[in-house]
Amino acid sequence: MPETASTQRRSSTIAPAIVSGVALSALLAGCASADTSESDGDDTLRIVLAGEPPTLEACDSTQSPVGVVSRSNITEPLTQLNPTSGELEPLLATSWEATGDTEWTFTLAEGVTFHDGSLFDAEAAAAAIDRSVNTELECHVKGFIFEDQALGLEVVDETTLAITTDTPDPLLPLRLSFLEISNASPDEKVREPVGTGPYAISDWAEGTSLSLSAFGDYWGDAPAFPEVEYQWRDEGSVRAAMVSSGEADLAFGLAASDGAEELGQSFINNETVMLRMDGQMEPFTDIRVRQAVNYAIDREAIAQGLFDGLVTPAGQLVPPGAVGYNDEIQAWSYDPELAAELVEEAAADGVAVDTPIKLIGRIENFPNVEDLAQVLQESMSQIGLNVSLEMMDAATELQYEQQPFVRDEEAIALVMPHGNTAGDASFTVVPYLTSDGVVSYFGDATLDTMIEDAALLEGDERQEAYEDILEYYNEELTGLAVLFHQRGLMAVSEFVSYSPDAQSGDEVRLSQITPAS
Amino acid sequence: MLTFLARRALMSVIPLAGVFIGVFVLARLSGDPSALYLPVTASEETRAEFSARQGFDEPVLAQLGTYLAGVFRGDLGTSLRTGEDALDMVLRAFPVTLALASVAMVLAVALAVLIGSYAALRPNSLMDRLSSLISLAAASLPDFWVALMGIWVFAITLGWLPTSGTAGVIAWVLPVATLLLRPLGVLVQFVRGAMVTAMSEPYIKLARSKGATERRVVMSHALRNAAAPALTVAGDLAVGLINGAVVIETIFGFPGVGKLMIDSIIGREFAVLQAAVLVTSVAIFALNIVIDAAYAMLDPRVRTAGKAVSA
Repeated sequence: MPETASTQRRSSTIAPAIVSGVALSALLAGCASADTSESDGDDTLRIVLAGEPPTLEACDSTQSPVGVVSRSNITEPLTQLNPTSGELEPLLATSWEATGDTEWTFTLAEGVTFHDGSLFDAEAAAAAIDRSVNTELECHVKGFIFEDQALGLEVVDETTLAITTDTPDPLLPLRLSFLEISNASPDEKVREPVGTGPYAISDWAEGTSLSLSAFGDYWGDAPAFPEVEYQWRDEGSVRAAMVSSGEADLAFGLAASDGAEELGQSFINNETVMLRMDGQMEPFTDIRVRQAVNYAIDREAIAQGLFDGLVTPAGQLVPPGAVGYNDEIQAWSYDPELAAELVEEAAADGVAVDTPIKLIGRIENFPNVEDLAQVLQESMSQIGLNVSLEMMDAATELQYEQQPFVRDEEAIALVMPHGNTAGDASFTVVPYLTSDGVVSYFGDATLDTMIEDAALLEGDERQEAYEDILEYYNEELTGLAVLFHQRGLMAVSEFVSYSPDAQSGDEVRLSQITPAS
Repeated sequence: MLTFLARRALMSVIPLAGVFIGVFVLARLSGDPSALYLPVTASEETRAEFSARQGFDEPVLAQLGTYLAGVFRGDLGTSLRTGEDALDMVLRAFPVTLALASVAMVLAVALAVLIGSYAALRPNSLMDRLSSLISLAAASLPDFWVALMGIWVFAITLGWLPTSGTAGVIAWVLPVATLLLRPLGVLVQFVRGAMVTAMSEPYIKLARSKGATERRVVMSHALRNAAAPALTVAGDLAVGLINGAVVIETIFGFPGVGKLMIDSIIGREFAVLQAAVLVTSVAIFALNIVIDAAYAMLDPRVRTAGKAVSA
């Protein structure tokens, strides 16, 4: 075949085309990354989270991914809980007192301004509380902390606010520690709130990073780091690697296997893992089967083998240190023989112990959840129960987790965590142990009354009442196999000083973080 | 050529519609998003109101009709999570994936041509065997494992590269290297095979007998004839890069359309998912048309095949 000019031309263009392609590739990469920036040096605290916060709306900051960025940083509450002492301390409110059976009066701090320069006063506080709990904005804090209870708000003077409740509520000042104050409109939620906190949002590059800058007119002490940059990575091992390699100063939400090594710091995070059984469906209708499941689980072996000792076997949902925690209740012992006997007894009495059970877990709900679910499935199968395992994503799993429950032909057992960072048992027992609790399958009238009465008590009486509730539940109902109190794990670089505490999973106070000395 | 392109574009409409409707219906079968977006204590009325506002209470076909009407008006809906325009979110993420996939693919093709040709010209040599072994491994290794090992070796142990992120060209090295491995592995094997076949064809002997230099024999004759089938394979692999991009973007924190799709599925962000699928599908079909056009340029028989049938 004779060579033509055109084939010669094409052949001579192949090599340059390859080179041009490579050059184009570099150019494309350069263009696509042109809007990003390198790390900003020593003045910037760099934090890597497991995910981008969906919003920073103040009234949704009780959701961990939101609160971990915004709480006490961008926005602030009237009161704040000391995670170490458990005491309630002043913040935007300097003091408070009960001024009636259903009324509390708060004195507010003076000289506080929002990031936009507007004044924080009783009017502003009342407006923020009103939009969070009394409107139809579907605020997370409304149901999660205030249990849909409406609040009466009266501005007494510029620095005095009176708040009334329908029924006596000794926990109102504590509940207000979860309500972050912003000056947003009552008509719609805002993704980037204007608060009074030590930091204001300076740039949110969607999908890439979020930057905060210290607020120059902050009413309290200026934080050590003028700038904070958040990034997010799905993989725990990548988050840990970012701290190891000096790309980030703090990494949250790590598992023991993520490789944080000596930079890892564990902390009590007030999260408790449980297996919740549907007591309205066989075989869980029989308490012996529910007890058997408790005896079938070797919590100690799982704690060591699966979690490297990062969890502590538990017998109650309320975390140690919280009001109402019962020292007497220990984790159930491991006794597979007794468990099998209990199942056989139930079967002899006509309980259909071979009814299929669907064990459900949520993917990535907490570290090692998939492994834990498999061990639980095996443990339950060993005592003669018929268990299949299904891991679900959040949207699907939530339909089984909370009211109104989806029910299948199989009986449901759900492995899930519960966090009680408020430090009071009522935040646990109302949703989990009452007959119509939002995450409760069943209860009994006696327990409901005990829980209702305990809510009105204070001091030692309150402590004893909740201890009794937890003991009663454990002995008479046993709807849950409480498994472990968890510990959180994070990585802290050698360049910063930060001691995580019980609230670090939900709230990271940036003003407490300083360069390492 | 224009008729050829128009015919290819028309043929793409039906599968495009099929993909889109399939995703639309399957997404809605995956569960109610209200549990994700409403407080745990939300009443039945609040949940019903939420569903009605989003149109989830209508039959799926009615929802599809409403949605398609919106598409023709340029309204692809808004994100449940952020309230942002879904198309804006996709158009922000898409260039990142496009850049990532383009860089990976261009490099993969360039390297595959070099390595594959080199191996084919020296069959059964040490380099040939080595390239076969390595390309086979590259095509077989799971990309998430390669990504994590890459981070461990190059970011943590050696400290040469950043672990992740998009800050600066250097941050693209690991993601691009991970993403190009699989297509590179497949293409090296393919180019080698095609070149070995081409080099044994009679026209190569003829070219040599005419006294053409070996460089000209390889570049003008063998490579050109091996290029057309390699291009088809490269096109398929380029489409497959979208799958790889999901993993790579998730691990390396790239805000691309792959990660956006996964987040949208997890968050039941139907509008964002649909917009992402629509834009990506159109891009993939456009890519296929470009590949067909390139193929037609390389092989005139492809250009005229349709005409012959229709005549």
